[in-house]
Amino acid sequence: MKRIAPLFLLTVALLVACTPKQTVTTAKIAVITMMQGGEFWGALKSGARTARTATSAILEFLAPINEADYEGQIRAVEQAIEQNFDAIILSPSHYTRLKDVVAKARTKGIKVVFADTALIGQSSDFLITADYRQIGLDMATHAFSLFGDDEQINALIIGSLPNTTTMTNLVESLSEALRSRPNTRIVSSTFSFSDEAIAYNIASNALQHEPSINMVFALEEYTAGGIAQALADRAGIRFIALGNTRYEIQLLEEGIIDALVVVNAFNLGYRSILAAVDLLEGKKPAHQPVDWALVTKDSMFSEAHQRLLFQTVQ
Amino acid sequence: MRRRGHPHSIKTILSVAIASVSILFTVLVSTILYVQFSATIRNNATISTREIVRQINANLNYYTTDILSIATYARDLAKQTDTLNRAQIEERLASIVNSRQDIVCLLLFKTDGTLLLSTNDAPLRPKNEIIGQQWFERALGKEGNFYFTGPHVQQLFKSAYPWVITYSQQITYRTEEGELDRALLVIDMNFWAVSELVQTARLGKSGYVYFIDNDGKIVYHPYQQLINSNLFNEDIASVQEHIFGTFHTTFEARERLVIVDTVNNARWRIVGVAFIDELMAGLKRYTAIMAAVLLLCIVITIFIARSIASYISRPIRELERLMNSVERGNFSAPPTVGGSQEVAALSETFAVMVRRIRTLMDDIVTSQEAKRKFELDALQAKINPHFLYNTLDSVVWMAEQGDSEGVIRMVTSLAKLFRISISKGRDIITIAEELEHVRNYLIIQQIRYQDKFTFSIEIEAGCEHLPTVKLIVQPIVENAIYHGIKYLQEMGTIAIRVHRRKPGAIVIEVRDNGVGMSEETLNRLLDFNSPQPKRMGFGVRNVHQRIQLYWGSDYGLEISSELDEGTLVRLIIPEQRPITPLKGVST
Repeated sequence: MKRIAPLFLLTVALLVACTPKQTVTTAKIAVITMMQGGEFWGALKSGARTARTATSAILEFLAPINEADYEGQIRAVEQAIEQNFDAIILSPSHYTRLKDVVAKARTKGIKVVFADTALIGQSSDFLITADYRQIGLDMATHAFSLFGDDEQINALIIGSLPNTTTMTNLVESLSEALRSRPNTRIVSSTFSFSDEAIAYNIASNALQHEPSINMVFALEEYTAGGIAQALADRAGIRFIALGNTRYEIQLLEEGIIDALVVVNAFNLGYRSILAAVDLLEGKKPAHQPVDWALVTKDSMFSEAHQRLLFQTVQ
Repeated sequence: MRRRGHPHSIKTILSVAIASVSILFTVLVSTILYVQFSATIRNNATISTREIVRQINANLNYYTTDILSIATYARDLAKQTDTLNRAQIEERLASIVNSRQDIVCLLLFKTDGTLLLSTNDAPLRPKNEIIGQQWFERALGKEGNFYFTGPHVQQLFKSAYPWVITYSQQITYRTEEGELDRALLVIDMNFWAVSELVQTARLGKSGYVYFIDNDGKIVYHPYQQLINSNLFNEDIASVQEHIFGTFHTTFEARERLVIVDTVNNARWRIVGVAFIDELMAGLKRYTAIMAAVLLLCIVITIFIARSIASYISRPIRELERLMNSVERGNFSAPPTVGGSQEVAALSETFAVMVRRIRTLMDDIVTSQEAKRKFELDALQAKINPHFLYNTLDSVVWMAEQGDSEGVIRMVTSLAKLFRISISKGRDIITIAEELEHVRNYLIIQQIRYQDKFTFSIEIEAGCEHLPTVKLIVQPIVENAIYHGIKYLQEMGTIAIRVHRRKPGAIVIEVRDNGVGMSEETLNRLLDFNSPQPKRMGFGVRNVHQRIQLYWGSDYGLEISSELDEGTLVRLIIPEQRPITPLKGVST
């Protein structure tokens, strides 16, 4: 009997081990965007939700009301740390101020995936973003195509948040590209803090003081909205914007906006969740930049572009 | 490691035999069950998946037929412009469209893009933008043919971008002038409402249904957004290869069951994709349970096999144990065991044999003991005449010398000596009697050897009446005189002392100051297994054997001696209850 007993124990252990059970490890992931509203963040969250179905992760979306409110974002990260999330998807709205809280989260073993923006000089567990330098270049190239070779370009650039990596990259590459063309002058390069009213005021004032401005770049959807209103009764000013809001699409159709750059935020959201789950499972997520497209009025209904442009318009 | 050719135990042989047959049988049955069950599950999964796809197709068919009937109704109305004005027709169509969530709008265009009828009041896009669209171009010039587009962004009204599926058909309508003309009927269906028909169906956990058109282009796919972002790939190639039916394929390292069917009314094909690992999840569970049960069965089988083997082999082992016990000399154990008939019979035979051996051995012991007694008797008989002759010779000599006192002393001692020697035939006497015997012997010898030695006898109080085997001290004393004191120039002494030694032993010490023994002689004397020495030691050894015969090997003689110093002999006997001394022997 003595020799049989361990055999029985072994069998029972094996029976328990073999008993079919749901071994779904549900990862708790906090998705912290820069703000609660916005088409871009909406698409990102939609992508994250789709990924939730594929990974059976539990998601919670946290964000301040205003994009510029990095303090609010820090509080959101603190909250995620307190609530013991396994991973955090974060689009830092300030490239230095969030360093401490991100470091704190990582010390607690929380995987941090940066989506779209990052922190300066601090690595996260993973970063998913579009090639914003290339976007800047392409915006400039498209802008040049709107003017004759010898035509003078006086450009106004309005970004959203000055202290984010994407804006820095985008503004830098756009400015560099613009400066590379003769007869091109950047009249002003400034930021709206993602506020439509501020963007409107900046644009109005700029246009008033520099009537020669004939090219405007809006690097964010709310900014584009503000600028569009400032351009309402002005003809002949070329306008390239980022985003795919209904208003921007209408402006594109109406010819007020010459081109829209649409970053696939759905992809951003979806892949950041997959990356977080991969990291939690000890796998290495694949690096692949997020796709984007420069859409004009002519190409907006093309099969390739309409799915990107209208992904949130239903 | 078991040596080659080493015989296995019956238990092992039986266990292995029973267990292997049972396990083989169990595994065989399990395998057959598994194969059958696996085939059934696969079959059922295929059937149920096909049924789901068929059901979705039927729903879609029902839906498109419904749209066709609306189209027919609209076509009929379009010809009734003689009886109904435009507003009335629009109102009738609007009542249908508005009652349904799924229809976005219904319009009728002239072939040049001019709007004839519309259920929607929103401002329309310019003509040129409308006639260029796919649904317009495809239906135009093909009277009667109707088309369903894939999902796309509607481009009919300004600033409205719903995702729709468009039905378009060229029809004939009656102009307000009463002439028949060609027109294009358009019904836009809300894509999300249509996709609900498909999305609700799940094939397994993550299986899905999608549609492709004749060219193998995806019309609808639930993961369209992921496909656009290159996050998801669809295996269109294998579907194009098979065109129709059910097939298995492996795509991106996952085996999938693919069901392809044609969709009525639209030139599409419906493709159902189910993942085998999900469909077979039941089998996995079954396999796990089966494996566990199988394992349990094997363990139980082994346990039962061992039990049976034990039941059979235990009596044999028991018999073996008994045999071993007998081999070691234990004949007292009752050598019978239970178990099977054969073993019981064997055991009984063995028992008879052991009983017979025991009887024979008892006989041998008895005869041996008798023999030894004869030997002892003979020894005593041998000593006494010699001693008696010498003593009587001394008596005669003393009588001739006129030493009547000496004669009396000697004869008295001799009488006492014999009195105790005989001791009514008893073997056990008191220590006091034994010492008295020695005293008389010493007195006689003292006279004979003309006061060549002195002696002393001491006895610890309370030891007088303790029992001892008789005549054990005298041979030692005799040895001391003949081999020790006789050769001594000076006066010899013999000291006899009796005292207790804990625990529970009595020591009778005989110490002389004789010539002693060499170490070699002493060793030979102490080694009781060596051949008997001719003269010296015969009595000593006899004493030792007698003590051991009575009280076991814990008792006997201890001898220490040194040349020219003397010899000390200790007789160790157990301390037992005091006994009554013989009558008439003064102590």
